[in-house]
Amino acid sequence: MANHSPALFAKTRLLEARLEEFLDKVSEGGIYFQRGMALLLERGVGPEAEAKLQQLIALKERCNELRRAVVSTLYTEMLIPDFRGDVLRLLSHLYGLLDSIKNAVQEFLIEYANAVIITGPPGEVGELVAVVTQSVEAAVQGSRALFRNPDAVRDHINHIRVYESEADGITLRLKSALFASDRPLEQKLLGRDALAAIDGLADLAEEISDELSILAIKRVL
Amino acid sequence: MAELDAFNLITSLLFLSSGLFLGWSLGANDASNVFGSAVGSRMLRFSTAALLCSLFVILGAVTAGAGASAGLGALGAVNALAGSFTTALAAALTVAFMTRAGLPVSSTQAVVGAIVGWNWFSGSRTDTTQLWRIVATWVICPLLAAAFAALLYRLGVLWIRWRRPHLLRLDAGLRLGLILAGIFGSYSLGANNIGNVMGVFVHASPFSRVSLGAGLSISSTQQLFLLGGLAIAVGVFTYSRPVMTTVGASLMTLSPLGALVVVLANALVLFLFSSEPLAVALSSLGLPPLPLVPVSSSQAVIGAVLGLGLLQGGRGVRQIRWGVLARIASGWVTTPVLAAVLGFVLLFVVQNVFGQQVVQPVDHPLPMPLR
Repeated sequence: MANHSPALFAKTRLLEARLEEFLDKVSEGGIYFQRGMALLLERGVGPEAEAKLQQLIALKERCNELRRAVVSTLYTEMLIPDFRGDVLRLLSHLYGLLDSIKNAVQEFLIEYANAVIITGPPGEVGELVAVVTQSVEAAVQGSRALFRNPDAVRDHINHIRVYESEADGITLRLKSALFASDRPLEQKLLGRDALAAIDGLADLAEEISDELSILAIKRVL
Repeated sequence: MAELDAFNLITSLLFLSSGLFLGWSLGANDASNVFGSAVGSRMLRFSTAALLCSLFVILGAVTAGAGASAGLGALGAVNALAGSFTTALAAALTVAFMTRAGLPVSSTQAVVGAIVGWNWFSGSRTDTTQLWRIVATWVICPLLAAAFAALLYRLGVLWIRWRRPHLLRLDAGLRLGLILAGIFGSYSLGANNIGNVMGVFVHASPFSRVSLGAGLSISSTQQLFLLGGLAIAVGVFTYSRPVMTTVGASLMTLSPLGALVVVLANALVLFLFSSEPLAVALSSLGLPPLPLVPVSSSQAVIGAVLGLGLLQGGRGVRQIRWGVLARIASGWVTTPVLAAVLGFVLLFVVQNVFGQQVVQPVDHPLPMPLR
Protein backbone atom coordinates (compact mmCIF):
# COMPACT_ATOMS: atom_id res chain seq x y z
CA MET A 1 0.00 0.00 0.00
CA ALA A 2 1.21 3.50 -0.75
CA ASN A 3 2.62 5.48 2.14
CA HIS A 4 0.75 8.66 1.36
CA SER A 5 -2.64 9.14 2.97
CA PRO A 6 -5.43 8.89 0.39
CA ALA A 7 -8.36 11.30 0.36
CA LEU A 8 -11.38 10.75 2.62
CA PHE A 9 -13.55 8.78 0.19
CA ALA A 10 -10.58 6.93 -1.34
CA LYS A 11 -9.75 5.63 2.12
CA THR A 12 -13.39 4.69 2.60
CA ARG A 13 -13.38 2.75 -0.66
CA LEU A 14 -10.22 0.93 0.39
CA LEU A 15 -11.83 -0.01 3.69
CA GLU A 16 -15.02 -1.11 1.93
CA ALA A 17 -12.96 -3.38 -0.35
CA ARG A 18 -11.20 -4.91 2.66
CA LEU A 19 -14.47 -5.51 4.47
CA GLU A 20 -15.97 -7.13 1.39
CA GLU A 21 -12.91 -9.35 1.01
CA PHE A 22 -13.13 -10.27 4.68
CA LEU A 23 -16.77 -11.35 4.27
CA ASP A 24 -15.91 -13.23 1.06
CA LYS A 25 -13.25 -15.17 2.94
CA VAL A 26 -15.63 -16.14 5.77
CA SER A 27 -18.14 -17.26 3.15
CA GLU A 28 -15.43 -19.28 1.36
CA GLY A 29 -14.61 -20.83 4.73
CA GLY A 30 -18.15 -22.23 4.87
CA ILE A 31 -17.75 -23.76 1.41
CA TYR A 32 -14.36 -25.34 2.25
CA PHE A 33 -15.88 -26.73 5.45
CA GLN A 34 -18.73 -28.37 3.52
CA ARG A 35 -16.35 -29.73 0.88
CA GLY A 36 -13.86 -30.94 3.50
CA MET A 37 -16.56 -32.73 5.48
CA ALA A 38 -17.99 -34.28 2.32
CA LEU A 39 -14.53 -35.62 1.42
CA LEU A 40 -14.11 -36.98 4.94
CA LEU A 41 -17.48 -38.68 4.82
CA GLU A 42 -16.86 -40.15 1.38
CA ARG A 43 -13.17 -41.02 1.46
CA GLY A 44 -12.03 -40.64 5.08
CA VAL A 45 -8.84 -38.82 6.08
CA GLY A 46 -6.73 -38.24 2.98
CA PRO A 47 -4.77 -35.63 1.05
CA GLU A 48 -7.96 -34.06 -0.39
CA ALA A 49 -9.48 -33.42 3.04
CA GLU A 50 -6.10 -32.21 4.35
CA ALA A 51 -5.87 -29.81 1.40
CA LYS A 52 -9.18 -28.28 2.55
CA LEU A 53 -7.70 -27.76 6.02
CA GLN A 54 -4.68 -26.02 4.46
CA GLN A 55 -7.04 -23.79 2.45
CA LEU A 56 -8.92 -22.94 5.65
CA ILE A 57 -5.67 -22.10 7.47
CA ALA A 58 -4.64 -19.79 4.60
CA LEU A 59 -8.10 -18.17 4.67
CA LYS A 60 -7.88 -17.61 8.38
CA GLU A 61 -4.48 -15.95 8.06
CA ARG A 62 -5.72 -13.64 5.30
CA CYS A 63 -8.84 -12.81 7.36
CA ASN A 64 -6.66 -11.99 10.33
CA GLU A 65 -4.55 -9.62 8.21
CA LEU A 66 -7.69 -7.98 6.83
CA ARG A 67 -9.25 -7.67 10.25
CA ARG A 68 -6.15 -5.98 11.67
CA ALA A 69 -5.98 -3.56 8.71
CA VAL A 70 -9.70 -2.77 9.04
CA VAL A 71 -9.44 -2.28 12.81
CA SER A 72 -6.61 0.26 12.61
CA THR A 73 -8.19 2.28 9.79
CA LEU A 74 -11.66 2.10 11.31
CA TYR A 75 -10.46 3.32 14.67
CA THR A 76 -8.33 6.16 13.38
CA GLU A 77 -10.26 7.42 10.38
CA MET A 78 -13.70 6.04 9.72
CA LEU A 79 -17.21 5.65 10.99
CA ILE A 80 -19.32 7.46 13.50
CA PRO A 81 -17.34 6.71 16.70
CA ASP A 82 -20.31 5.19 18.53
CA PHE A 83 -20.59 2.65 15.74
CA ARG A 84 -16.92 1.68 15.45
CA GLY A 85 -16.99 -0.67 18.42
CA ASP A 86 -20.11 -2.40 17.11
CA VAL A 87 -18.56 -3.09 13.71
CA LEU A 88 -15.32 -4.31 15.24
CA ARG A 89 -17.24 -6.68 17.54
CA LEU A 90 -19.11 -8.05 14.53
CA LEU A 91 -15.84 -8.62 12.68
CA SER A 92 -14.40 -10.38 15.72
CA HIS A 93 -17.41 -12.69 15.88
CA LEU A 94 -17.14 -13.49 12.18
CA TYR A 95 -13.43 -14.14 12.53
CA GLY A 96 -14.20 -16.36 15.53
CA LEU A 97 -16.67 -18.30 13.37
CA LEU A 98 -14.06 -18.87 10.66
CA ASP A 99 -11.56 -19.93 13.32
CA SER A 100 -14.08 -22.44 14.70
CA ILE A 101 -14.73 -23.79 11.20
CA LYS A 102 -11.00 -24.38 10.74
CA ASN A 103 -10.75 -25.95 14.18
CA ALA A 104 -13.70 -28.26 13.47
CA VAL A 105 -12.09 -29.57 10.26
CA GLN A 106 -8.75 -29.89 12.05
CA GLU A 107 -10.36 -31.84 14.92
CA PHE A 108 -12.11 -34.14 12.47
CA LEU A 109 -8.79 -34.87 10.76
CA ILE A 110 -6.94 -35.49 14.02
CA GLU A 111 -9.31 -36.41 16.87
CA TYR A 112 -12.49 -37.59 15.16
CA ALA A 113 -10.89 -39.32 12.18
CA ASN A 114 -12.83 -42.46 12.98
CA ALA A 115 -15.82 -40.74 14.51
CA VAL A 116 -17.24 -39.72 11.14
CA ILE A 117 -18.49 -43.23 10.66
CA ILE A 118 -19.71 -43.44 14.22
CA THR A 119 -21.78 -40.22 14.17
CA GLY A 120 -24.42 -41.62 11.87
CA PRO A 121 -25.26 -42.42 8.23
CA PRO A 122 -23.12 -40.22 5.87
CA GLY A 123 -26.30 -38.78 4.31
CA GLU A 124 -27.66 -37.53 7.61
CA VAL A 125 -24.30 -36.12 8.78
CA GLY A 126 -23.95 -34.47 5.37
CA GLU A 127 -27.43 -32.98 5.90
CA LEU A 128 -26.26 -31.53 9.25
CA VAL A 129 -23.11 -30.11 7.61
CA ALA A 130 -25.24 -28.55 4.82
CA VAL A 131 -27.61 -26.87 7.28
CA VAL A 132 -24.70 -25.58 9.37
CA THR A 133 -22.99 -24.23 6.22
CA GLN A 134 -26.21 -22.45 5.27
CA SER A 135 -26.35 -20.84 8.70
CA VAL A 136 -22.76 -19.60 8.22
CA GLU A 137 -23.63 -18.25 4.76
CA ALA A 138 -26.73 -16.50 6.16
CA ALA A 139 -24.56 -14.86 8.84
CA VAL A 140 -22.22 -13.54 6.13
CA GLN A 141 -25.15 -12.30 4.05
CA GLY A 142 -26.71 -10.63 7.09
CA SER A 143 -23.41 -8.88 7.81
CA ARG A 144 -23.17 -7.76 4.18
CA ALA A 145 -26.75 -6.45 4.36
CA LEU A 146 -25.90 -4.44 7.48
CA PHE A 147 -23.38 -2.45 5.45
CA ARG A 148 -25.64 -1.98 2.44
CA ASN A 149 -29.26 -2.31 3.47
CA PRO A 150 -29.93 -2.56 7.22
CA ASP A 151 -33.65 -3.09 6.60
CA ALA A 152 -32.86 -6.47 4.97
CA VAL A 153 -30.83 -7.77 7.94
CA ARG A 154 -34.00 -9.03 9.62
CA ASP A 155 -34.62 -11.58 6.82
CA HIS A 156 -31.11 -13.02 7.16
CA ILE A 157 -31.40 -13.16 10.96
CA ASN A 158 -34.56 -15.19 10.56
CA HIS A 159 -32.78 -17.60 8.17
CA ILE A 160 -29.89 -18.07 10.62
CA ARG A 161 -32.32 -18.92 13.43
CA VAL A 162 -34.20 -21.42 11.29
CA TYR A 163 -30.97 -23.14 10.19
CA GLU A 164 -29.70 -23.24 13.77
CA SER A 165 -32.92 -24.80 14.94
CA GLU A 166 -32.76 -27.34 12.09
CA ALA A 167 -29.15 -28.16 13.00
CA ASP A 168 -30.21 -28.76 16.62
CA GLY A 169 -32.98 -31.07 15.43
CA ILE A 170 -30.69 -33.14 13.23
CA THR A 171 -28.02 -33.31 15.95
CA LEU A 172 -30.61 -34.50 18.48
CA ARG A 173 -31.82 -37.17 16.09
CA LEU A 174 -28.29 -38.38 15.34
CA LYS A 175 -27.30 -38.35 19.04
CA SER A 176 -30.43 -40.29 20.02
CA ALA A 177 -29.69 -42.89 17.35
CA LEU A 178 -26.06 -43.06 18.43
CA PHE A 179 -26.85 -43.61 22.10
CA ALA A 180 -29.61 -46.09 21.27
CA SER A 181 -27.08 -48.19 19.33
CA ASP A 182 -24.98 -50.96 20.90
CA ARG A 183 -21.68 -49.19 20.24
CA PRO A 184 -19.15 -48.99 23.11
CA LEU A 185 -19.48 -45.98 25.41
CA GLU A 186 -16.16 -44.40 24.32
CA GLN A 187 -17.39 -44.41 20.70
CA LYS A 188 -20.70 -42.89 21.77
CA LEU A 189 -18.87 -40.11 23.63
CA LEU A 190 -16.52 -39.50 20.72
CA GLY A 191 -19.49 -39.38 18.32
CA ARG A 192 -21.33 -36.98 20.63
CA ASP A 193 -18.33 -34.61 20.69
CA ALA A 194 -17.96 -34.81 16.92
CA LEU A 195 -21.63 -33.86 16.44
CA ALA A 196 -21.28 -31.04 18.97
CA ALA A 197 -18.28 -29.67 17.01
CA ILE A 198 -20.43 -29.40 13.86
CA ASP A 199 -23.59 -28.15 15.58
CA GLY A 200 -21.56 -25.58 17.57
CA LEU A 201 -20.86 -23.68 14.34
CA ALA A 202 -24.60 -23.00 13.89
CA ASP A 203 -24.72 -21.78 17.49
CA LEU A 204 -21.91 -19.32 16.69
CA ALA A 205 -23.85 -18.15 13.63
CA GLU A 206 -26.85 -17.58 15.88
CA GLU A 207 -24.73 -15.44 18.22
CA ILE A 208 -23.82 -13.34 15.20
CA SER A 209 -27.51 -13.02 14.37
CA ASP A 210 -28.14 -11.61 17.87
CA GLU A 211 -25.36 -9.08 17.32
CA LEU A 212 -26.75 -8.20 13.89
CA SER A 213 -30.26 -7.64 15.20
CA ILE A 214 -28.97 -4.99 17.67
CA LEU A 215 -26.78 -3.32 15.04
CA ALA A 216 -29.65 -3.21 12.54
CA ILE A 217 -31.93 -1.50 15.09
CA LYS A 218 -29.23 1.11 15.69
CA ARG A 219 -28.92 1.83 11.98
CA VAL A 220 -32.51 1.59 10.89
CA LEU A 221 -33.79 4.87 9.39
CA MET B 1 -15.97 61.08 15.32
CA ALA B 2 -12.55 62.05 16.67
CA GLU B 3 -9.78 59.49 16.89
CA LEU B 4 -9.95 57.48 20.11
CA ASP B 5 -7.20 58.22 22.58
CA ALA B 6 -6.09 55.64 25.14
CA PHE B 7 -8.43 56.88 27.87
CA ASN B 8 -11.43 56.97 25.57
CA LEU B 9 -10.54 53.51 24.28
CA ILE B 10 -10.48 52.08 27.80
CA THR B 11 -13.75 53.85 28.66
CA SER B 12 -15.34 52.59 25.46
CA LEU B 13 -14.18 49.03 26.10
CA LEU B 14 -15.53 49.31 29.64
CA PHE B 15 -18.90 50.35 28.27
CA LEU B 16 -18.77 47.59 25.66
CA SER B 17 -17.99 45.01 28.35
CA SER B 18 -21.65 44.08 28.94
CA GLY B 19 -22.06 43.33 25.22
CA LEU B 20 -18.79 41.42 25.20
CA PHE B 21 -20.05 39.40 28.17
CA LEU B 22 -23.21 38.59 26.21
CA GLY B 23 -20.93 37.52 23.33
CA TRP B 24 -18.83 35.33 25.60
CA SER B 25 -21.98 33.74 27.00
CA LEU B 26 -23.33 33.15 23.48
CA GLY B 27 -20.08 31.49 22.41
CA ALA B 28 -20.02 29.32 25.54
CA ASN B 29 -23.62 28.11 25.14
CA ASP B 30 -24.59 28.21 21.47
CA ALA B 31 -21.45 26.74 19.89
CA SER B 32 -22.79 23.39 21.06
CA ASN B 33 -25.81 23.85 18.77
CA VAL B 34 -23.56 23.85 15.71
CA PHE B 35 -20.62 21.63 16.64
CA GLY B 36 -21.98 19.77 19.68
CA SER B 37 -22.85 16.54 17.90
CA ALA B 38 -19.50 16.41 16.06
CA VAL B 39 -17.47 17.02 19.24
CA GLY B 40 -19.76 15.16 21.66
CA SER B 41 -19.52 12.03 19.54
CA ARG B 42 -15.73 12.49 19.20
CA MET B 43 -15.93 12.87 15.44
CA LEU B 44 -14.09 16.15 15.59
CA ARG B 45 -11.48 17.35 18.06
CA PHE B 46 -12.69 20.20 20.25
CA SER B 47 -9.76 22.43 19.21
CA THR B 48 -10.60 22.00 15.51
CA ALA B 49 -14.32 22.61 16.12
CA ALA B 50 -13.59 25.69 18.25
CA LEU B 51 -11.25 27.11 15.60
CA LEU B 52 -13.73 26.53 12.75
CA CYS B 53 -16.64 27.82 14.84
CA SER B 54 -14.77 30.98 15.89
CA LEU B 55 -13.53 31.76 12.38
CA PHE B 56 -16.93 31.41 10.76
CA VAL B 57 -18.82 33.15 13.57
CA ILE B 58 -16.55 36.19 13.10
CA LEU B 59 -16.89 35.97 9.30
CA GLY B 60 -20.70 35.77 9.55
CA ALA B 61 -20.84 38.61 12.08
CA VAL B 62 -18.63 41.01 10.12
CA THR B 63 -19.93 40.27 6.61
CA ALA B 64 -23.61 39.50 7.18
CA GLY B 65 -24.48 40.68 10.68
CA ALA B 66 -26.00 43.98 9.63
CA GLY B 67 -29.41 42.62 8.61
CA ALA B 68 -30.51 41.01 11.87
CA SER B 69 -28.87 43.78 13.89
CA ALA B 70 -30.80 46.45 11.95
CA GLY B 71 -34.00 44.51 12.61
CA LEU B 72 -33.32 44.77 16.32
CA GLY B 73 -32.31 48.42 15.94
CA ALA B 74 -35.68 49.18 14.36
CA LEU B 75 -37.24 48.32 17.70
CA GLY B 76 -35.29 51.00 19.49
CA ALA B 77 -32.09 52.87 18.71
CA VAL B 78 -30.13 53.08 21.96
CA ASN B 79 -28.12 56.23 21.23
CA ALA B 80 -25.79 56.72 24.21
CA LEU B 81 -22.89 54.42 25.00
CA ALA B 82 -23.75 54.23 28.72
CA GLY B 83 -27.35 53.45 27.74
CA SER B 84 -26.16 50.67 25.42
CA PHE B 85 -23.96 49.31 28.21
CA THR B 86 -26.86 49.30 30.67
CA THR B 87 -29.28 47.77 28.15
CA ALA B 88 -26.86 44.94 27.34
CA LEU B 89 -26.13 44.51 31.07
CA ALA B 90 -29.86 44.18 31.81
CA ALA B 91 -30.12 41.49 29.11
CA ALA B 92 -27.02 39.68 30.38
CA LEU B 93 -28.22 39.74 34.01
CA THR B 94 -31.65 38.46 32.93
CA VAL B 95 -30.02 35.57 31.05
CA ALA B 96 -27.79 34.81 34.06
CA PHE B 97 -30.71 34.96 36.51
CA MET B 98 -33.01 32.80 34.36
CA THR B 99 -30.24 30.25 33.77
CA ARG B 100 -29.46 30.10 37.48
CA ALA B 101 -33.16 29.64 38.22
CA GLY B 102 -33.18 26.73 35.75
CA LEU B 103 -35.66 28.46 33.46
CA PRO B 104 -35.38 28.30 29.66
CA VAL B 105 -34.03 31.58 28.36
CA SER B 106 -32.98 33.08 25.08
CA SER B 107 -30.59 36.03 24.88
CA THR B 108 -32.65 37.39 21.94
CA GLN B 109 -35.72 37.67 24.13
CA ALA B 110 -33.70 39.29 26.92
CA VAL B 111 -32.17 41.85 24.53
CA VAL B 112 -35.60 42.67 23.05
CA GLY B 113 -37.00 43.20 26.56
CA ALA B 114 -34.02 45.36 27.53
CA ILE B 115 -34.44 47.57 24.43
CA VAL B 116 -38.14 48.01 25.24
CA GLY B 117 -37.00 48.93 28.76
CA TRP B 118 -34.69 51.58 27.28
CA ASN B 119 -37.55 52.93 25.09
CA TRP B 120 -39.72 53.05 28.20
CA PHE B 121 -37.07 54.87 30.23
CA SER B 122 -36.11 57.32 27.47
CA GLY B 123 -39.69 58.00 26.47
CA SER B 124 -39.00 56.76 22.94
CA ARG B 125 -41.80 55.18 21.00
CA THR B 126 -41.64 51.38 20.66
CA ASP B 127 -42.48 50.31 17.14
CA THR B 128 -45.22 47.83 18.02
CA THR B 129 -45.37 46.45 14.47
CA GLN B 130 -41.67 45.59 14.68
CA LEU B 131 -42.15 44.26 18.22
CA TRP B 132 -44.92 41.89 17.16
CA ARG B 133 -42.88 40.89 14.13
CA ILE B 134 -40.01 39.94 16.44
CA VAL B 135 -42.32 38.15 18.90
CA ALA B 136 -43.81 36.21 15.99
CA THR B 137 -40.33 34.95 15.08
CA TRP B 138 -40.03 33.34 18.53
CA VAL B 139 -42.91 31.08 17.57
CA ILE B 140 -42.05 30.78 13.88
CA CYS B 141 -38.38 29.94 14.47
CA PRO B 142 -38.85 26.56 16.25
CA LEU B 143 -41.79 25.70 13.97
CA LEU B 144 -39.71 26.44 10.89
CA ALA B 145 -36.81 24.42 12.30
CA ALA B 146 -39.23 21.52 12.94
CA ALA B 147 -40.51 21.71 9.36
CA PHE B 148 -36.97 21.90 7.92
CA ALA B 149 -35.80 19.00 10.07
CA ALA B 150 -38.76 16.81 9.07
CA LEU B 151 -38.30 17.64 5.38
CA LEU B 152 -34.52 17.19 5.38
CA TYR B 153 -34.79 13.91 7.28
CA ARG B 154 -37.37 12.55 4.83
CA LEU B 155 -35.23 13.59 1.87
CA GLY B 156 -32.15 12.05 3.51
CA VAL B 157 -33.94 8.75 4.15
CA LEU B 158 -35.30 8.66 0.58
CA TRP B 159 -31.84 9.32 -0.82
CA ILE B 160 -30.24 6.61 1.32
CA ARG B 161 -32.94 4.09 0.38
CA TRP B 162 -32.53 4.98 -3.29
CA ARG B 163 -28.73 5.02 -3.46
CA ARG B 164 -28.06 2.41 -0.77
CA PRO B 165 -24.56 3.67 0.00
CA HIS B 166 -22.17 1.41 1.84
CA LEU B 167 -22.39 2.06 5.56
CA LEU B 168 -18.78 3.26 5.65
CA ARG B 169 -19.34 5.72 2.82
CA LEU B 170 -22.59 6.89 4.41
CA ASP B 171 -20.84 7.50 7.70
CA ALA B 172 -17.91 9.25 6.01
CA GLY B 173 -20.46 11.47 4.26
CA LEU B 174 -22.29 12.14 7.51
CA ARG B 175 -19.04 13.06 9.25
CA LEU B 176 -18.15 15.47 6.47
CA GLY B 177 -21.74 16.75 6.44
CA LEU B 178 -21.62 17.44 10.18
CA ILE B 179 -18.43 19.46 9.78
CA LEU B 180 -19.81 21.43 6.80
CA ALA B 181 -23.17 21.97 8.54
CA GLY B 182 -21.23 23.11 11.64
CA ILE B 183 -19.32 25.63 9.52
CA PHE B 184 -22.56 26.86 7.90
CA GLY B 185 -24.22 26.96 11.31
CA SER B 186 -21.31 28.97 12.77
CA TYR B 187 -21.50 31.48 9.92
CA SER B 188 -25.28 31.82 10.35
CA LEU B 189 -24.92 32.04 14.14
CA GLY B 190 -22.46 34.91 13.73
CA ALA B 191 -24.64 36.65 11.12
CA ASN B 192 -27.83 36.27 13.13
CA ASN B 193 -26.86 36.52 16.77
CA ILE B 194 -24.27 39.30 16.58
CA GLY B 195 -27.32 41.58 16.77
CA ASN B 196 -27.92 40.30 20.30
CA VAL B 197 -24.33 40.94 21.28
CA MET B 198 -23.59 44.28 19.63
CA GLY B 199 -26.94 45.45 18.21
CA VAL B 200 -27.63 47.88 21.07
CA PHE B 201 -24.23 49.55 20.55
CA VAL B 202 -24.64 50.27 16.82
CA HIS B 203 -26.22 53.72 17.26
CA ALA B 204 -23.71 54.69 19.96
CA SER B 205 -20.59 53.14 18.46
CA PRO B 206 -17.36 54.64 19.80
CA PHE B 207 -15.53 53.65 16.60
CA SER B 208 -15.16 55.44 13.30
CA ARG B 209 -14.66 54.07 9.80
CA VAL B 210 -11.12 52.83 9.21
CA SER B 211 -9.59 52.79 5.76
CA LEU B 212 -7.58 49.67 4.95
CA GLY B 213 -6.21 51.08 1.70
CA ALA B 214 -6.88 49.88 -1.85
CA GLY B 215 -10.41 51.24 -1.58
CA LEU B 216 -11.23 48.93 1.31
CA SER B 217 -12.58 50.18 4.59
CA ILE B 218 -14.19 48.75 7.69
CA SER B 219 -17.21 50.57 9.10
CA SER B 220 -17.74 51.35 12.78
CA THR B 221 -20.53 48.73 12.90
CA GLN B 222 -18.23 46.11 11.36
CA GLN B 223 -15.58 46.96 13.97
CA LEU B 224 -18.20 46.46 16.68
CA PHE B 225 -19.23 43.16 15.12
CA LEU B 226 -15.61 42.06 14.85
CA LEU B 227 -15.17 42.76 18.55
CA GLY B 228 -18.43 40.93 19.32
CA GLY B 229 -17.31 38.03 17.13
CA LEU B 230 -14.02 37.85 19.02
CA ALA B 231 -15.95 37.79 22.32
CA ILE B 232 -18.02 34.89 20.98
CA ALA B 233 -14.79 33.15 19.92
CA VAL B 234 -13.36 33.58 23.44
CA GLY B 235 -16.59 32.06 24.80
CA VAL B 236 -16.22 29.12 22.40
CA PHE B 237 -12.61 28.45 23.37
CA THR B 238 -12.93 29.00 27.11
CA TYR B 239 -16.25 27.53 28.12
CA SER B 240 -18.07 25.68 25.35
CA ARG B 241 -16.25 22.36 25.76
CA PRO B 242 -18.36 20.93 28.62
CA VAL B 243 -21.56 22.20 26.98
CA MET B 244 -20.55 20.64 23.65
CA THR B 245 -19.76 17.28 25.18
CA THR B 246 -22.99 17.06 27.21
CA VAL B 247 -25.38 18.58 24.67
CA GLY B 248 -23.58 16.83 21.81
CA ALA B 249 -23.77 13.47 23.50
CA SER B 250 -27.49 13.87 24.15
CA LEU B 251 -28.05 14.97 20.56
CA MET B 252 -26.30 11.85 19.37
CA THR B 253 -28.97 9.72 20.95
CA LEU B 254 -30.54 10.63 17.62
CA SER B 255 -29.28 8.63 14.65
CA PRO B 256 -26.21 10.10 12.90
CA LEU B 257 -28.52 11.31 10.11
CA GLY B 258 -30.86 12.86 12.71
CA ALA B 259 -27.94 14.73 14.31
CA LEU B 260 -26.86 16.12 10.94
CA VAL B 261 -30.42 17.18 10.11
CA VAL B 262 -30.81 19.01 13.43
CA VAL B 263 -27.58 20.97 12.92
CA LEU B 264 -28.54 21.78 9.32
CA ALA B 265 -32.11 22.84 10.18
CA ASN B 266 -30.76 25.13 12.91
CA ALA B 267 -28.22 26.66 10.49
CA LEU B 268 -30.88 27.18 7.80
CA VAL B 269 -33.27 28.91 10.19
CA LEU B 270 -30.54 31.25 11.48
CA PHE B 271 -29.52 31.96 7.89
CA LEU B 272 -33.11 32.73 6.82
CA PHE B 273 -33.52 35.26 9.62
CA SER B 274 -30.26 37.04 8.81
CA SER B 275 -29.71 36.94 5.05
CA GLU B 276 -30.40 40.26 3.35
CA PRO B 277 -29.93 38.90 -0.22
CA LEU B 278 -32.46 36.14 0.56
CA ALA B 279 -34.97 38.67 1.91
CA VAL B 280 -34.55 40.76 -1.27
CA ALA B 281 -34.94 37.64 -3.43
CA LEU B 282 -38.13 36.62 -1.61
CA SER B 283 -39.54 40.13 -2.03
CA SER B 284 -38.72 40.16 -5.73
CA LEU B 285 -40.61 36.88 -6.09
CA GLY B 286 -43.63 38.48 -4.42
CA LEU B 287 -43.21 36.30 -1.32
CA PRO B 288 -43.39 37.78 2.18
CA PRO B 289 -39.79 38.19 3.39
CA LEU B 290 -38.93 36.84 6.81
CA PRO B 291 -38.02 39.61 9.26
CA LEU B 292 -34.27 39.95 9.71
CA VAL B 293 -33.94 39.68 13.48
CA PRO B 294 -31.84 37.60 15.86
CA VAL B 295 -33.53 34.31 16.78
CA SER B 296 -32.74 31.73 19.42
CA SER B 297 -30.41 29.02 18.17
CA SER B 298 -31.22 26.75 21.12
CA GLN B 299 -34.96 26.99 20.45
CA ALA B 300 -34.33 26.26 16.77
CA VAL B 301 -32.50 23.08 17.83
CA ILE B 302 -35.38 22.09 20.13
CA GLY B 303 -37.80 22.73 17.25
CA ALA B 304 -35.72 20.57 14.92
CA VAL B 305 -35.59 17.68 17.41
CA LEU B 306 -39.34 18.07 17.86
CA GLY B 307 -39.79 17.89 14.08
CA LEU B 308 -37.90 14.59 14.01
CA GLY B 309 -40.02 13.30 16.91
CA LEU B 310 -43.25 14.21 15.12
CA LEU B 311 -42.04 12.33 12.03
CA GLN B 312 -42.27 9.12 14.06
CA GLY B 313 -46.02 9.65 14.48
CA GLY B 314 -47.78 8.64 17.69
CA ARG B 315 -44.65 7.14 19.26
CA GLY B 316 -42.74 10.38 18.71
CA VAL B 317 -45.60 12.53 20.05
CA ARG B 318 -45.72 10.44 23.23
CA GLN B 319 -41.97 10.96 23.74
CA ILE B 320 -42.27 14.76 23.59
CA ARG B 321 -42.03 16.37 27.00
CA TRP B 322 -44.81 18.92 26.64
CA GLY B 323 -43.95 20.41 30.04
CA VAL B 324 -40.54 21.50 28.69
CA LEU B 325 -42.21 23.13 25.69
CA ALA B 326 -44.67 24.96 27.95
CA ARG B 327 -41.74 26.25 30.03
CA ILE B 328 -40.04 27.52 26.86
CA ALA B 329 -43.27 29.28 25.80
CA SER B 330 -43.55 30.83 29.25
CA GLY B 331 -40.01 32.18 28.77
CA TRP B 332 -41.27 34.12 25.73
CA VAL B 333 -43.22 36.30 28.21
CA THR B 334 -41.19 36.23 31.42
CA THR B 335 -37.75 36.87 29.83
CA PRO B 336 -38.58 40.13 27.98
CA VAL B 337 -40.74 41.45 30.84
CA LEU B 338 -37.98 40.79 33.38
CA ALA B 339 -35.33 42.31 31.07
CA ALA B 340 -37.49 45.41 30.42
CA VAL B 341 -38.11 46.04 34.13
CA LEU B 342 -34.46 45.36 35.03
CA GLY B 343 -33.32 47.60 32.16
CA PHE B 344 -35.54 50.43 33.37
CA VAL B 345 -34.23 50.13 36.94
CA LEU B 346 -30.56 49.89 35.88
CA LEU B 347 -30.88 52.85 33.50
CA PHE B 348 -32.33 54.88 36.37
CA VAL B 349 -29.43 53.85 38.64
CA VAL B 350 -26.71 54.46 36.04
CA GLN B 351 -28.14 57.87 35.15
CA ASN B 352 -28.95 59.10 38.64
CA VAL B 353 -26.38 57.35 40.84
CA PHE B 354 -23.38 57.17 38.49
CA GLY B 355 -24.26 60.34 36.59
CA GLN B 356 -23.87 58.75 33.14
CA GLN B 357 -25.78 59.91 30.11
CA VAL B 358 -27.89 56.92 29.06
CA VAL B 359 -30.08 58.79 26.56
CA GLN B 360 -29.01 61.27 23.91
CA PRO B 361 -31.72 63.87 23.38
CA VAL B 362 -33.00 63.73 19.82
CA ASP B 363 -34.70 66.58 18.05
CA HIS B 364 -37.75 65.39 16.19
CA PRO B 365 -38.50 68.19 13.74
CA LEU B 366 -42.21 68.85 13.51
CA PRO B 367 -43.76 68.83 10.11
CA MET B 368 -44.47 72.25 8.61
CA PRO B 369 -47.95 73.45 9.58
CA LEU B 370 -50.45 73.36 6.76
CA ARG B 371 -51.55 76.75 5.55
